[in-house]
Amino acid sequence: MIRFRAGLALWVFLLAALMGLPAAFGGPAEPIVLGVPTALGHSDGADSLRAVQLAAEEINVRGGVRVGGARRPLQVVSIDTREHEPGIPIHDALAALEKLITERRPHAIVVGAFRSEVLLASMDVIARYRVPYIVTIAMTPLFEQRVASDPGKYRYLFRMGLQSEYFAGNLARVLGFVKSRYGLSRVHFAYQDVLWAKGTVSILETWARQSGWTVVGSDAYPTGATDFSATVIRAQSGRAQILVPVFDMPQAGILVKQVRTARLPVLMAGYVVPVVPGTAWQTFEGAVDGFVQFLHEPGAIAVKALSKSVHFNRAYGRKYGEEARLRLGGHGPGPSYDAVYVVAAAIERAGTLEADRVADEIRRTDMEGVIGRIRFNERHQVVYGGLPHETAISLAFQWRAPGRRVVVWPEIAAEDEIRLPAELRR
Amino acid sequence: MFEALSILLYGLVQSAVLLLIALGFSVTFGISGIPNFAHGGIYILSGFACWYLLRKAHWPYPLAVAATVALAAAIGTLLYWLVIRPVRRLVLAEVLATFAVGVAFLELFRWMGLVTYEFHLPPVLSGSVTIGGVTMDRHRLVIVGAAAGLGMLLWWFGRATRTGLALRAMAQEEYTALAMGVHEDRMAAIGVALGSALAAVAAVLVLPLGIISINLGYDAILVALALTVTGGTERTAGLLLAALLLGMGTVLASMVLGPHWSEVIYLLAIVVVLAVRPSGILGRFKELEERV
Amino acid sequence: MREAGYRRERLDRGIKVRADDVFVLTSWRELLYLAGPRLAAMTVLLGFPLLRPWTGAYWQTVFLIVVAMMLLATSWAFLERVGLVSLGQSLFFGAGGYLTAIAAVYLHLPSFPAVLLGATAGAVVCAGLLTPVLRLRGVYFSLVTFALPLLFARIIEATKILGGTEGFAGVPGLGGLTLRQYLLVLALLVTVFGLQRLLDSDHGLLLRAIRDNDVGVRASGIPVGRWKFTALLVGALPATFAGGVLATHYHVVGMSAFSLEYSVLPLTAAVLGGSEMLAGAAVGAALLVPLSEVLRAFGTLRVVAYCAVLVVVLVGVPEGLFALARRRYHQFERWVPV
Repeated sequence: MIRFRAGLALWVFLLAALMGLPAAFGGPAEPIVLGVPTALGHSDGADSLRAVQLAAEEINVRGGVRVGGARRPLQVVSIDTREHEPGIPIHDALAALEKLITERRPHAIVVGAFRSEVLLASMDVIARYRVPYIVTIAMTPLFEQRVASDPGKYRYLFRMGLQSEYFAGNLARVLGFVKSRYGLSRVHFAYQDVLWAKGTVSILETWARQSGWTVVGSDAYPTGATDFSATVIRAQSGRAQILVPVFDMPQAGILVKQVRTARLPVLMAGYVVPVVPGTAWQTFEGAVDGFVQFLHEPGAIAVKALSKSVHFNRAYGRKYGEEARLRLGGHGPGPSYDAVYVVAAAIERAGTLEADRVADEIRRTDMEGVIGRIRFNERHQVVYGGLPHETAISLAFQWRAPGRRVVVWPEIAAEDEIRLPAELRR
Repeated sequence: MFEALSILLYGLVQSAVLLLIALGFSVTFGISGIPNFAHGGIYILSGFACWYLLRKAHWPYPLAVAATVALAAAIGTLLYWLVIRPVRRLVLAEVLATFAVGVAFLELFRWMGLVTYEFHLPPVLSGSVTIGGVTMDRHRLVIVGAAAGLGMLLWWFGRATRTGLALRAMAQEEYTALAMGVHEDRMAAIGVALGSALAAVAAVLVLPLGIISINLGYDAILVALALTVTGGTERTAGLLLAALLLGMGTVLASMVLGPHWSEVIYLLAIVVVLAVRPSGILGRFKELEERV
Repeated sequence: MREAGYRRERLDRGIKVRADDVFVLTSWRELLYLAGPRLAAMTVLLGFPLLRPWTGAYWQTVFLIVVAMMLLATSWAFLERVGLVSLGQSLFFGAGGYLTAIAAVYLHLPSFPAVLLGATAGAVVCAGLLTPVLRLRGVYFSLVTFALPLLFARIIEATKILGGTEGFAGVPGLGGLTLRQYLLVLALLVTVFGLQRLLDSDHGLLLRAIRDNDVGVRASGIPVGRWKFTALLVGALPATFAGGVLATHYHVVGMSAFSLEYSVLPLTAAVLGGSEMLAGAAVGAALLVPLSEVLRAFGTLRVVAYCAVLVVVLVGVPEGLFALARRRYHQFERWVPV
């Protein structure tokens, strides 16, 4: 009985502690709360959160954000939605988002959904709670269609990350270059069976067929797949010259390795998460040689044409260490860092934290950031293109011995042109 | 022609992989009747242990592998005495308790963030060879050899050693075996430990093909179940046949129908075999025990 | 712990004995003793949705999920009583969700008839699918229930039917949140009290006999297969209903409806609460799901925690917490010399 009572007391104490916890935070300084609900278990999500914290810290060091007369600091609160894992219910991610909104009352949300499926489902939640929301990871074009379908309802939602149509266009341009420069014409696709990757590849396939490519094959892999022999065999028997992998799961690195050990004579160009970091050459023991990797947005690599990207890299390395900077992912950190500045500037222009006014000011944003020039189109998507002072840009780099990432696209930032791997030159 | 040969070769490798993964589970289930659902957890745990010993502690490869296998066997023994022993013979509780332990291992690793591409093990032999136009890494051939060797070793163990004979006696005629002085708990503990050690061997051999990914732990359980159910637990030949069928089946399915279908094959095998021939394709004498 | 020479004795409380038969009607105290716990549980269930101004919308959504999980756990416990140990409650949950979506989107039914049709059809489909393996004992039936939801998820993913990986969108909402909550609460009360009554009846005796000695039951000339099928049908209904209502809540049902979480959570809840009484499973879910929400910040560590709880309860308190509490309520203990 005594044990039971002691247990009860402990329980009550724990509950009280948990309930008291949030109250301990909101001090008299009245910070502006930025929510980050995303998949923190994925490197892109975790890096994006760090980028947001970095930007918030920079702004706070400069005295915070001017709202009306007062200066208020930024406070970042995050929650892990685990949406990158296979088989996590969408509603679980939504529950996390709702918990963040109702318990921490963020004045704006940045980074946002990781999976496109979750982004689409989150849109109604955001419309209900009316919180300015800038997504930097989920890439589906359906987002813009939804915003266009009801601009009033979805006025709080914006996207600063790349959209998969843009990505398909970038890939198409690189493929076009390889075709005209080296005369390659047989392409094979392998992609993860998730909304953004499927969207990208379906656009690209249509484009490739129309522009005279032979599409050898196109393989969809479920999230978490670890054996890619099917692609290796099919690409080899179909004599593919270019392999385009589009994956956001770490397991996709196995594909790169399998292709290299089978000595396939192909040029790989696409998006494979573990190939991005500066440490990838060691991790893959050189198997990434010749891989053309896209960075959806600048951030992981400092590009001279974008002065802010140089600053971002330096500041990130200083705060989190050189190792962490080298490991920066190719999707999320850049625009997430910028998103904090966009929100801060919008709040200052609006002079209030009221959601409608802030959202309208975000819509009017026009500034230079890590990712290039940031302007939203009428469907709340940042415009991407090829000129850093006109639009936001994407980058592509090629891995070269002895472990260098050479920027090869777009022309304005390129250090060298794309070269064919040794197996293909023969 | 090239495709047929590729499918055959990759199918053989896949069969060997499946066999290695399932062997431990099947051995434990076959000899002590314990469905050790922690198998997948131990498999991945061994992978991370080996990775740690190689990459962080810089142990030489053979030593690291030996230590990993020993560790897995120790965990298996502990698992038996602490978790399985109290709920022994309550089939449901055995399944739940071991499954919970396995999931606990796996999710603990996920929580620790061990999910990036860095966690991969080195192959036993690097480099690649070309067989009839199909280029394949040496390590895949090692796997095929190891699977065959391990199968034969187990066969020998079951027939030529006292422990092996005692284990098989427990599986076939429990009460007679007890009457002959076979120690029940000790045998069951050895069964679980042996299964766990085999899981570690599988981890060291199979995981270098890819990365140590947590979801592979769940897949491992599925594979083990599919093979054990399809092959039946009475004869090693059943398991071998099941491995060949499912291995070739998955490679063929992923080539012809697309990569999505490979996992469908395992699941379909479990459902169809249990519905049609619950004792497995080569099973005989359990028919009556298992159904109403 | 007392020294040797003593043993622990359990005796029914006086009030329990008095409340056991018809004389209970003579005193309010006894009536309250009997009805109190039930009334308290019903008050919490029926009252919580009214607390919305104080709890906020988030905890109300959690409440909805809690009740859905309680339904899944109750359904698990009922099936377990018949000897059908399910490792895949998500099969029922997902089937209810998808069929509700089909009824709403393809047959253009309004949401409430769609849920009813989806739940019924879901139970029929699941029972039909499991019929070939109903004759299997022990772990074999469980293996099939484990494999089927995963198989469905993979097939939906591979064939891209029913919305593929994106999920089946466009399910119309069913009233407001409060209406959905009360629907589920109503279903839960009917399930817990109704099915418990069924289990305590002669039919229940038969079902338990099937679990304990199916050959004996068959020898008595009772068609075991048909009874198991009926039990499966009845037992699946609460779970398919929960799936249907949640589909109307999220307006979308996806592959994740078949995910392992919906199988593991009800099962853990039922083990935690104890499945000897259906209410035990429900109480287990009512403890586990809110706790898991509170611990959300710990990510997958909470799954580790569930598993630890599961192992400890299985090994240490195999009858479950509810049975433990119930015993304390009805009985007292004392040490007596041997």
